[in-house]
Amino acid sequence: MSDDGVNHTRRRLIGLTAGMGAVGGAFVAWPFLASWVPSARAKAAGAPVEINISKLEPGQMLSVEWRGQPAWILNRTPEMLDKLPGMVDLIVDPDSLESIQPDYAKNKTRSIKEQYLVLIGICTHLGCVPLTKLKPGLAEGMEADWRGGFFCPCHGSKFDLAGRVYKNVPAPTNLVVPPYHFATDTLIVVGVDPSMSIHGAEGAKNMNKKMKENLSGSKG
Amino acid sequence: MQKLLEQSLDWVDARYPVKKVWDEHLAKYYAPKNFNFLYYFGSLALVILVIQIVSGIFLTMHYKPDANMAFASVEYIMRDVEWGWLIRYMHSTGASFFFIVVYMHMYRGLIYGSYRGPRELLWIVGMVIFVTLMAEAFMGYLLPWGNMSYWGAQVIISLFGAIPFIGDWLAEFIRGDFVIADATLNRFFALHVAALPLVLVGLVFAHLVALHKVGSNNPDGIEIKQNKGPDGIPVDGIPFHPYYTVKDIMATVFFLILFAAVMFFVPELGGWFLEHDNFMPANVLQTPPEIVPLWYFTPYYSILRATTTDMIYVLYGVTVAMAILTVISVKDIRAKGATVVVAAVVLVALNILQPKLWGVILMGSSLMVFFGLPWLDRSPVKSIRYRGWMFKTALTIFIVSFFVLGFLGTQPATGLNTRIAMVGTVLYFLFFLLMPWYTTFDKTKPLPERVTE
Amino acid sequence: MIKKIIIVLLLSVPALGLAAGNNLKLDSVDIDLSDKASLQRGARTFINYCLSCHSAGYMRYNRMGKDLGISDELVSGNLLFAADKIGDLMKAVMPAEDAKKAFGTVPPDLTLVTRSRGPEWFYTYMRSFYRDESSASGWNNVVFPDVAMPHVLYSWQGEQRAIFKEHEGRRVFDRFEVGSSGSMSEEVYTDTMRDLTNFMVYLGEPAKLVRYRIGTYVIIFLLIFLFVAYLLKKEFWKDVH
Repeated sequence: MSDDGVNHTRRRLIGLTAGMGAVGGAFVAWPFLASWVPSARAKAAGAPVEINISKLEPGQMLSVEWRGQPAWILNRTPEMLDKLPGMVDLIVDPDSLESIQPDYAKNKTRSIKEQYLVLIGICTHLGCVPLTKLKPGLAEGMEADWRGGFFCPCHGSKFDLAGRVYKNVPAPTNLVVPPYHFATDTLIVVGVDPSMSIHGAEGAKNMNKKMKENLSGSKG
Repeated sequence: MQKLLEQSLDWVDARYPVKKVWDEHLAKYYAPKNFNFLYYFGSLALVILVIQIVSGIFLTMHYKPDANMAFASVEYIMRDVEWGWLIRYMHSTGASFFFIVVYMHMYRGLIYGSYRGPRELLWIVGMVIFVTLMAEAFMGYLLPWGNMSYWGAQVIISLFGAIPFIGDWLAEFIRGDFVIADATLNRFFALHVAALPLVLVGLVFAHLVALHKVGSNNPDGIEIKQNKGPDGIPVDGIPFHPYYTVKDIMATVFFLILFAAVMFFVPELGGWFLEHDNFMPANVLQTPPEIVPLWYFTPYYSILRATTTDMIYVLYGVTVAMAILTVISVKDIRAKGATVVVAAVVLVALNILQPKLWGVILMGSSLMVFFGLPWLDRSPVKSIRYRGWMFKTALTIFIVSFFVLGFLGTQPATGLNTRIAMVGTVLYFLFFLLMPWYTTFDKTKPLPERVTE
Repeated sequence: MIKKIIIVLLLSVPALGLAAGNNLKLDSVDIDLSDKASLQRGARTFINYCLSCHSAGYMRYNRMGKDLGISDELVSGNLLFAADKIGDLMKAVMPAEDAKKAFGTVPPDLTLVTRSRGPEWFYTYMRSFYRDESSASGWNNVVFPDVAMPHVLYSWQGEQRAIFKEHEGRRVFDRFEVGSSGSMSEEVYTDTMRDLTNFMVYLGEPAKLVRYRIGTYVIIFLLIFLFVAYLLKKEFWKDVH
């Protein structure tokens, strides 16, 4: 064995082999890690949900499942909306600067159309589903100065009728507003931003003529 | 930096024998320098074990061991899970490659006499690994819940029914139902993903411990430890690390090329690695036209099917002939007596027990005889290089029988096929049964002092 | 020597398990998964006709759309008969109970038919229906005798009669005779079935579209790695004499 000091050829080859091995290892690790992302089934189950709101009277709320979470749609009465500006002193983040919502819902009412509030019904504290306490005062077992909103039974967090969190409760931020858009005046699609809508004119433009021929042949 | 590294290593070494293990098993484990390509298969088996464990763990994250969901969950992996198809093909290709590698590893041991003293225990542990691996593969094959999975398991478990008195009860006990059912799938899943892998890993560890105790054999079959230099190191030995580590890295990469070629381009390998009938979900009411186990089981399956009523007469003959040969050969009168008694018992049993049961016994024995190799071989030399024509002929006949049996196991059991399988079965066993004689009489060449290139 | 034996054995049984049933010679079919137009035409035939009674219950519409280059809008607009959502699995339009009443058996799921029976089988089967007044459906098939399925595409192919002959005491299929012609010429029908078979091969294993390409890259990488590993081994083994 002729190891006189450092053998540079050997060093280089060891480094090269180790490098190839590391790159190979990373390539092999990739598919295994990637297999953890939501599968096609999970994505299909988490596909956008369409909600018909034509029968949702003012003051009523609907809860639907979207990606395994409750998505709420509240039709706010003018009285409810009137209360919102007056809440500012009680609220941690009245302008929704810290909370998660699409840009088009980052406004005073946290909604696209003033009247309709769309929220993910999951407390931003530890993930419980808050109770709906829309009526003000003692009517729903809250205190006399309650102005209507949502109350999380797990740790007592309170939210107003725009899903904004009260001061001095455990929840750190406002309730999350999911991406949604109005497909028609009475049809809300939760899970798709207005710009990504396949109902819009955008999508139709992409239709490939040749493809269409292939697909829409006569039925024999 | 260098200093810090050394200090950390010293700190660990004072509490855990890192250097000792490193030296004993790699840097100062002296292996013969004349290993040929057949010596790669041990390391490759280890590589495959890792591939199977890792891909298997990830498959369990998506697979459902439920009779109503299993088949669909495999297709779910193949389609809906990101890269799931790759992980699944890795596991299915790995299963077949595992057996290719292990068979080559055993073949190596067979031709160079690696089972001979002082390596008897090493060989026996290896054989236990092989049998465990077969159980592992058999149970894993049920999990996709394809029609061949289902009927293959049905047929093999029904074999236990051939055992007198307790057979039917035993088969039912194993299945947990009257046929292969959800309960069977669930327990096979548990055994396949947890119990047997643990056993396998433990056995592989024991296999390596035994190997490093006695040292590696080599293609010349001489002991390098008997020829040590003044420094106490075998003159024909080289440290495993770095010499065999770099060589094994090269072999592993080469092996992975073959593996990738199959996995990406022909994962079914024309039905040899993934059977066509297994792309139909298990159907309790419809048996596939031919129940064919995967290729690595077919030699044994062939032996099972060859054992018909006719075979019993052949077995009479073999028993009598072996008894006569033994009585003539042994000197001790008590041994002569014992032989006669054993032969008589076998003959009576051949009369009483059903051929179906003998099929099971022969299939089991075809594995068990391997355990006896260290004591059946009486040759003064280990390696085929110094053996005479008798051993070489016997080995060739054995290998050919093994392949013929393997091939017939994939074919319909027609009259002619069964006849050939019967001959193959007898030849298979004669390799072992006659070994004490042909290895004694065989002319051997003189062994060299040092290993040859 | 062992390797040679293995190779000979492997070559001697190319299509293990496929030879089941009768000894009818199956027609070979040109499968080309890179032919997207063919796959799209096959998809149309499959969804418009086969999916009425059969399911392809492991396949999702949107996956098919993505793989075949069909936009979600087109899939929703043109192909989504039996499902509400683009991410749904391809279930049959006809409920299983109704199918059982109509045919006496539930039509099997077809997702994997070309994997279990082979593309040649499928291709030949689809072209081997013939008039048989003695069967319940009025149809029979030389590839799958006494099949419960009627010839759904007969308006395309037309009617054919099967001519049988005696061979070693058994009645074996000889050839087809044209009865009445359908709306498609024989050539067009054959092409349509080739497209359908092509699609069915894709349907059996969508990963087939990518695995050859990925495999090529992997093997090129490993070949380079092998070269480096070989140099490393050679460098170290200079020491060993």
